[in-house]
Amino acid sequence: MSEEVTIARTTARDDISPAAQVRRATFVLVGSAVLGALALPWLSTSYATTLAIEIMIAAIFASGINLLVGTTGLVSLGQGMFLGLGGYGIGIGTTVLGLPLWLSVPATLVLVATLAAAIGAVCTRTRGVEFLLITLAFSQMFYGAAIKLRLTNGSDGMSGIPRPDLGLLGLNADSPVVFYYYILLVTMLAVAAVWRIAESPFGSVLAAIRESERRAAAMGYAVSSYKVGAFVVAAVTCAVAGILQSQYTYFINPDSMSWQLSGEGVLMVIIGSTTAVAGPLVGAAVFVLAKQGLSVLTTEYMLFFGIFFMLVVAFFRNGVVEAFKSAFRSKP
Amino acid sequence: MSTLEVRSLHKAFGGLDVISNLNLTVPPGQRRAVIGPNGAGKTTFLNLITGWLTPTSGAVLIDGQAVATHPEEVTHAGIARSFQRNLLLEDLTVVENLRVACQAFHPCRRVFWRSKREFGDLFEQARQAAEWMHLTDILEVPVTHLSYGQKRQLEVALALCAKPKILLMDEPAAGTSPQERARLIDLINRLPKDLTILLVEHDMDVVFATCDIITVLSYGKVLATGTRRDIQEDPAVIEAYLGRRHARG
Ligand SMILES: Nc1ncnc2c1ncn2[C@@H]1O[C@H](COP(=O)(O)OP(=O)(O)OP(=O)(O)O)[C@@H](O)[C@H]1O
Ligand SMILES: [Mg+2]
Repeated sequence: MSEEVTIARTTARDDISPAAQVRRATFVLVGSAVLGALALPWLSTSYATTLAIEIMIAAIFASGINLLVGTTGLVSLGQGMFLGLGGYGIGIGTTVLGLPLWLSVPATLVLVATLAAAIGAVCTRTRGVEFLLITLAFSQMFYGAAIKLRLTNGSDGMSGIPRPDLGLLGLNADSPVVFYYYILLVTMLAVAAVWRIAESPFGSVLAAIRESERRAAAMGYAVSSYKVGAFVVAAVTCAVAGILQSQYTYFINPDSMSWQLSGEGVLMVIIGSTTAVAGPLVGAAVFVLAKQGLSVLTTEYMLFFGIFFMLVVAFFRNGVVEAFKSAFRSKP
Repeated sequence: MSTLEVRSLHKAFGGLDVISNLNLTVPPGQRRAVIGPNGAGKTTFLNLITGWLTPTSGAVLIDGQAVATHPEEVTHAGIARSFQRNLLLEDLTVVENLRVACQAFHPCRRVFWRSKREFGDLFEQARQAAEWMHLTDILEVPVTHLSYGQKRQLEVALALCAKPKILLMDEPAAGTSPQERARLIDLINRLPKDLTILLVEHDMDVVFATCDIITVLSYGKVLATGTRRDIQEDPAVIEAYLGRRHARG
């Protein structure tokens, strides 16, 4: 009798394959992350809420970049351009043209998509370092233009960017807590959308292109149009981050288009892991927290961040998330 | 049922004529071998047919129609090929390699709002393709972890996923074990009889076991075309290529 029970238990335990274990752990983690995110404003200080907002905006930006870098294998150093265009788009729409926000946002996204299709058609003719340099060149062009453009106050930037009007719901988005939930909602939608695209038939072609462009073409895929597609989706995602960022600070200036910001996005993706869904989220969190922590200690935080980044890459070759996953798999 | 026709094909790299005045017709359902010494221009010939290289002059026709000029269009026109040097999606699993290959002909290929798992028919097709090549046991293994011989078999399986009318293979047996070679021969002989095949291969056992007509290429020119017997008795061929190994066979 007791023997039977033991046997039954052993089989039950054997049924939990490593893949299922990872899935279960992921489910628990994602569940607690969502619950934690929902409860955060009630559990902690407004400082933590502020940090969480910055992490979420960075996570959207990193998700857009990861579709290019991680999924398609195209390392862009110009995604800040689209982040900036998102902010400037609604800035010009609302404060210069006097359009309502609900119209400025979709108009901005459509314009960014169109522009990205044109820029992408040029950039995706190259690959590797060339692609990195040409995306950088484009973003520097927009950065230069933003500094000179009088319509948007040049390097002084535009202020008075509105947050959404939630009056119908009896809410005021100027309240940090309300704004936090607004950002949380958009982040969950944006990250889920990018994840779905990466897992779609279209996304699997992007992965094939990353592995071997020639094989993808031999299979019968028009490689360049898929790459332009990825470029457009990534640009729109980064523009969403830019819209939220400008609403968060009520402000947009040319710094949002700087190559440093694009580079920080790529760092987040590499820190988190280019191969895992949660990679950009975790990377964004690690990046924002490390930057905050280090800048409290020293003004030369970039130097220390460089060392921190090297350590992460040295010890977690495939990013923090993959390290977590393999730690789980190798558990006896 | 498709005819592959090549008319006065010419390709020069700089001053070097790699393919010169090449004429060749493969009727529907024929299994044609193309053999020749290293550097004869066999791979270049396949690259010209499949849009990877543009001919200096001349034309490639399928059923009398000019073949498209981009590799992906050539595949959709019904010509698929395997490569001499493995070209695989190394970090992806065997089944995902095959699934993506099948997906190129599925209406869902541009769908980005639904999960790929919703298209179960593609997984089924991928599993079938794996069965042809005896890859069923390693479906979930990332390609990087396969043996060289297994990778060669996946090369051919990927080409078959395109459901081609004309199949081109570039040395599919190179680097495979005798057992894998026997399987390859068996596979080629089991393929639908109306599939036109052009096989580039150094292994004469594979050639003789699968092909009816053999074309011998040397320095980009057709030296001879004929049956096994015709070729083995052709003095020019013996001189250029076979002399060393199979003249007596
Ligand atoms: N892109 C290229 N540029 C210049 N020369 C080339 C190029 N591709 C091939 N060649 C030359 O063309 C000739 C034929 O090459 P090819 O690869 O077609 O030979 P092959 O018959 O396939 O040989 P093997 O049996 O070794 O595979 C060789 O002399 C090669 O050096
Ligand atoms: Mg060759």
